[in-house]
Amino acid sequence: MSTIALSELLGLLVYDLTGTAKGRVREVALAPQEDRTKIALFVVKTSSGNRLLPLTAISNIDGGVRATTPASDWALADGAEGLLFLSRDLLDQQVIDVHGRKVVRVNDVDFHQDTTLGRAQLKIGGVDVGARGAVRRLLKGVIPAAALRALVQRVPPREIPWDFVDLIETDAARRVKLKISHDRLAKLHPADIADIIEDLAPNEREAVFQTLDEGVAAGALEELEPRVQKALVESLDSDRAADIVEEMEPDAAADLLADLPEERTAEILVQMQPEERQEVTELLEFKENSAAGRMTTEYIALPVTATTNDAIEMMRTFEGRMESMSTIFLVDSQGTLGGAVPLAKIVLAPLGTPLLGLTQEPLIYCQENAKEKEFAELFDKYNLLTLPVIDQKNHLMGVITPDDVINMLRSKL
Amino acid sequence: MKFLRRWKIQILLFFAVVGPGIITANVDNDAGGIFVYSAAGAQFGHMLLWTMIPITIALIVVQEMCARMGAATGKGLSDLIREEFGLRITFLMMLGILITNFGNVIAEFAGIAGSMELFGVSKYYSVPICAVIVWLIIVKGQYKSVEKVFLAASFFYITYIVAGVIAKPAWIEALTATIKPPQLAAFKQDSYLYMVIGVVGTTIAPWMQFYLQSSIVEKGVTRRQYKASKLDVVVGCIFTDVVAWFIIVACAATLYVHGHSEIRDAADAAQALRPLAGDYAYILFSLGLFNASLFAASILPLSTAYTVCEGLGLESGVGKKFSEAPTFYWLYTILIAAGGIVILLPGLPLVKITVFSQVVNGAVLPFVLIFMLLLVNKKELMGEFVNTMLFNVIAWATTVIMIGLTALLVWGQLVGKTG
Repeated sequence: MSTIALSELLGLLVYDLTGTAKGRVREVALAPQEDRTKIALFVVKTSSGNRLLPLTAISNIDGGVRATTPASDWALADGAEGLLFLSRDLLDQQVIDVHGRKVVRVNDVDFHQDTTLGRAQLKIGGVDVGARGAVRRLLKGVIPAAALRALVQRVPPREIPWDFVDLIETDAARRVKLKISHDRLAKLHPADIADIIEDLAPNEREAVFQTLDEGVAAGALEELEPRVQKALVESLDSDRAADIVEEMEPDAAADLLADLPEERTAEILVQMQPEERQEVTELLEFKENSAAGRMTTEYIALPVTATTNDAIEMMRTFEGRMESMSTIFLVDSQGTLGGAVPLAKIVLAPLGTPLLGLTQEPLIYCQENAKEKEFAELFDKYNLLTLPVIDQKNHLMGVITPDDVINMLRSKL
Repeated sequence: MKFLRRWKIQILLFFAVVGPGIITANVDNDAGGIFVYSAAGAQFGHMLLWTMIPITIALIVVQEMCARMGAATGKGLSDLIREEFGLRITFLMMLGILITNFGNVIAEFAGIAGSMELFGVSKYYSVPICAVIVWLIIVKGQYKSVEKVFLAASFFYITYIVAGVIAKPAWIEALTATIKPPQLAAFKQDSYLYMVIGVVGTTIAPWMQFYLQSSIVEKGVTRRQYKASKLDVVVGCIFTDVVAWFIIVACAATLYVHGHSEIRDAADAAQALRPLAGDYAYILFSLGLFNASLFAASILPLSTAYTVCEGLGLESGVGKKFSEAPTFYWLYTILIAAGGIVILLPGLPLVKITVFSQVVNGAVLPFVLIFMLLLVNKKELMGEFVNTMLFNVIAWATTVIMIGLTALLVWGQLVGKTG
């Protein structure tokens, strides 16, 4: 098994069954429907137009492509849907390196070459994004091929294995035909997905974003910078936007909707589930730079009479995020805040312990209209993990979490 | 109320996208610009004024194309060249841009050296200190806050307009010369041809196209907001050239009429502001030149590093650490350091070098334009935002004329040398 690069394949002479040179390799294509790694065919530029030469009709690729069929058997290349053309679609384009979690530009493509039963086989090994591919392409035809091969061996490679390459295709129909999905991208941390999305051009962002399911999209959306966030949501239809906004943390969703034009916000709200809509609408009422504007309404509150068993039971059925479970709040029948119990205390206490005995003293909270500076100081002073926000009647309204505070502080740095 | 609200939204929309065009325009009147326009006025009087209208039209067309490409594709010019024309062409293009822009960086340091010499500060102090300041502004991430200071100080250019008026120029002559080109005989002079290319090169500099398009992309201007951006670009272009016109007129009225036709250093150029500021002309001129040079010196090396790294697919961005984007930071550092060092060579004719760098701009411009034109006419890239016929005609004409002028100049030099 040996390796060969795309730039070395392009321009190779193609000989037909009789051994006469019939043309040159113009394109190398993959048929992702059949195989994601194995090269399906070459496009050969001949005197009678571009012809398709399937790999199954090639016996050998060594300084020249030797076909096992007469040139007259090679079909004319027209349209060729469902094919990924490596030179056109990959070379010099941006792809997502799922492993390195960034957007990179392709300098060359590396193949593993094999011959079994008199048939040549080419499999994509990976894409070259480093200096090796660049040098090879820059000097091709400028210095002798053998000298070039020796030279590039000295250049350290930077290759991304094909399994970690995510293609960006803005045409939705073509995305389906080429089986381009972003399953691997979706498995990354939302913050990394957001970084990658920010590196792309707007229409590419939209393309990638469309393939993500609502949960992943919501997570990524929360981490995007507000400008990109806004532009992306505006590009979605309100139905899909509503589905995604529903999955977002209510406070992040409210911040996002507050930045959109009013009509657009209304359209999205109408499409949302009643429960989520109510939460978000309530948050939208508050000034963004007050405690109420920064809080989330996703938290666990239990009656003051509850025990650790109730708390654990509640956590098991809780649908919100893990972070929202770090403190359990106690409220009376009116919703008045009575205490806050850290998760760690519940874990350490024997089962059945009344929560009222585990509360954190003193109970730290802030008023709904508290200024950013005030609650940031509370976090700093008491080393808080959560800060409950109450209204004038001492009813628990929501919770501020450290990420809200860090976001706020960072935006002021 | 509804009307008021709508009106407010329009204004807000404009301010959300305003900036790239105006900033590019201001940086356009950098040390290279000031010296070239001054030299043009001093050496040829009103004879170059006629270029201002065609240049303004070409500048608007070219810059508008960049802004449109940025808004329509969301990609920088070097990214687009790379994606559509491949690595080899991009590499050559980037090499050309690197060399041309290096000339411009040298020009900025020449401006710094010249302006500070007017205050009696030797270039051996001013250039290294400013080089370090520029380097730190960017690397420490302070550019955004400093930009506002630069922009505010750019209003210095208005002094040229005032100086031009106070100098009591021959208005009628100047206006006639703006509309009417000189006799064909003028073009047979190599020095005149040289100056024409310089004036075009400094006004429609290649780096501006890359810089403007990236700024538009970074600002997040989309197809929908594009109209406001267009206004920003057009206003910027007109401002640039009005200032250029007045610099030429001011220099013609002060230097040319007194037979002071060669500008050797900043002190000569400062004479143009004498009618306005008398003995303070030096102070006014040197402060303005200093601001313009420092402003451009902080943008040019950075823009070059971005352009080159993006085109070649290397990591770039001031948000990244040195170890994450080594090429980017090294390019940036070397451009500044080498640009400063060149200026420190003893006995260097600062103005001559500056003008030469702008002539190189003019000679490289058509190549950038060709790629821009090919890109902006691609339907699959631009969709409905492809060039109109009129824009194509103007931009192609600019390209052909610049190639022609450069060829004529080179030919003249060759014939002159052998004969």
